[in-house]
Amino acid sequence: MAAEPLGSLLERRLVIVTGKGGTGKTTVAAALAVAAARAGRRVLVAETGRDEQLPRLLAPGSPPVGYAGREILPGVTAMRIDPFNALGEYLGLQLGVRSVVDFVLRNRGFRQLMSAAPGWRDLITLGKIWHVEQMTNGDGGPLYHLIIVDAPATGHGVTFLDVPHVVVSAVRTGPLRRNAERVEQMVVDTKRTLLLPVALAEELPTRETAELVERLRADVGITIDRAVVNGVFPAPFPEALSDLDERLAKLPDDAPRGELPRPSTLAACARYLRARFELNRSYVAEIGRLTGLPVVCLPYLTTGIQGPAEIAVLADALVEPPRAVTA
Amino acid sequence: MHPRIVVCVGCGGVGKTTIAAALGVEAARRGRRALVLTIDPARRLADALGLRSLGNEPQPIPRHVLARLGVPGDGGLAAMMLDMKRTFDDLVARFAESPEVRDRILSNAIYQHASDALAGSVEYSAMEKVYELYEGRNFDLIVVDTPPAQHALDFLEAPQRLLEFLDSRLVQMLIHPAFAAGRFGLRLFQRSTHRILQIVERVSGFGFLEDISEFLLAFEGMAGGFRERAHRVRSLLVGPEAAFVRVAGTGAESQRQAVDFLDRLEAFDVPLSGVLINRVRRWPEGGAPPESLTGGELRESDIAALATALGASEAPDFPAEAAARAAVAAATGYAALVQRDLRSTLALRTRARDRGRYWGQVPEFAGDIHDLAGLAHIADAIFHEGEPSLGEHAGP
Repeated sequence: MAAEPLGSLLERRLVIVTGKGGTGKTTVAAALAVAAARAGRRVLVAETGRDEQLPRLLAPGSPPVGYAGREILPGVTAMRIDPFNALGEYLGLQLGVRSVVDFVLRNRGFRQLMSAAPGWRDLITLGKIWHVEQMTNGDGGPLYHLIIVDAPATGHGVTFLDVPHVVVSAVRTGPLRRNAERVEQMVVDTKRTLLLPVALAEELPTRETAELVERLRADVGITIDRAVVNGVFPAPFPEALSDLDERLAKLPDDAPRGELPRPSTLAACARYLRARFELNRSYVAEIGRLTGLPVVCLPYLTTGIQGPAEIAVLADALVEPPRAVTA
Repeated sequence: MHPRIVVCVGCGGVGKTTIAAALGVEAARRGRRALVLTIDPARRLADALGLRSLGNEPQPIPRHVLARLGVPGDGGLAAMMLDMKRTFDDLVARFAESPEVRDRILSNAIYQHASDALAGSVEYSAMEKVYELYEGRNFDLIVVDTPPAQHALDFLEAPQRLLEFLDSRLVQMLIHPAFAAGRFGLRLFQRSTHRILQIVERVSGFGFLEDISEFLLAFEGMAGGFRERAHRVRSLLVGPEAAFVRVAGTGAESQRQAVDFLDRLEAFDVPLSGVLINRVRRWPEGGAPPESLTGGELRESDIAALATALGASEAPDFPAEAAARAAVAAATGYAALVQRDLRSTLALRTRARDRGRYWGQVPEFAGDIHDLAGLAHIADAIFHEGEPSLGEHAGP
């Protein structure tokens, strides 16, 4: 591992947020967008799922952002990359003739073919990201300083980032291969692109994250410089009282306490929070140990993730320097 | 009647695999021979069941391990993880018309990289395996842990979509030798279809479609033998021998999707099912937490009383008041979590009840569940805490 200090999360052009379903990838992508905008960056945050989540998180009550995208906060543009929209745009660029593109896209057989065909969604999504990354504004600077991608859940391993390489090795020649090569170059360019894995500090997500990082390193070669651990329970009691739950459990249930719940109930509540805290703490260390990565912890929020207020809290935590975890 | 197949569906991260395994444990404890089949490529079930590796064959859990869980002599439990690649290779080998065709398909570049990524193919080969195991009659109950799906019944619909896709004209044209002739303008096919292929070839690159067509040939061959079978599997899964269980987390998104699932069930002849809400925080005394903790005023005199009780048996320098405050803060914090789960799951619980579906909840345990004893605890929570039980209440 490189010994040099960790740079900011905001200094690259592209951050791909990934992780197993349920780890809170979209929340982290939204929080990163807010943090970057606060630092004065023009940000594009793109989600890839079937249902739009970002407007609810960043600007509740605002209409869907769609493929065209919309600035939903000052400095933050959100979009949802729909593969069929991206395909239409790509065919338009390749064929030049709109009527031909429409003819192809309207064809029922073609749509059926594309509904089942493997890989192209990932490739076209990455292609669109490459395209946006190349865009410039009026001054010749990049249209967006930072592009954040909420990647598809890694149900099938690393397919999303693996696809350009697969195409490069499977397709001998032609435009498809050329485009895949450009996308692959972007993905592995350590100056431009960073992968941000999101995990939960529990047993199975910990192992899955370690597996994911290992496979990404081996198969894709994308830069990973830290892991984000979501929903980490804070220490529930002052340090000197770390066994408070046990002390409560020793009290007789008829101990005088006014309207407070009986001591066994108080003990159960304390035991739960302590157990979650200790469990999380040990798996945060385990994630650090298994991946060799510094870890950024985001706190568990009792309120759940309702909207901008919670995202703002997570944005603060996200840009704090990560800590190297010692085993 | 008892279901012979239980299909667990739900989005990722809700503990589907754990619930599926717990259902298997419960069936074994009731004296049935159960198999838990997982399709998730991560080795979750292997972890949960303490197995070092899961092959493409059922791995029985040793009898002495089961005996410790109270599994009677006639009960049994096995687990297996579907090896996608191997299942596919086996299918190709079985349906290919000649060894040459088989080898050509297996060495096809696109086949090697993408056979498990063709939309619907995971579900397709899972169904194949489920049916094979069902027909083998070595198990009284097969619990299927499906791949994570955002949308309700992908597991049922995907194989059908795959078959329709293979039947489509464009694909037929790609697959059959006429494709080669098609490039020179064979009139058997509609001109528009031909033109689409020309455009695709132009955009993708020369030779790409040949690889694709060879790749699709693999599925075509399987489809021939599989079509009738897929139909039979579907009948099995929507028949009286199967039950679908939706596993949901307590998060707002998971709850919303589960409600949506119940709504959509009507559109299918699915033998319902019900809902299991996983990792619900419950108030230790049952019911809702007391109001004094969830919004009412806490009385200083109560905290002082608790501090006195806590300090009674401690050294004089014990920070009793700080301890009492921390205890109350912990109770208030936990009460808020219980309250949040009660609220977030209300719509789903109500909906399940209204529709006559069973529903159950699994409490969140303090630690991780990663062994058979933990799975047995989950089964206890589902089946022995006064909630309706699976099987007896399946179906409206």
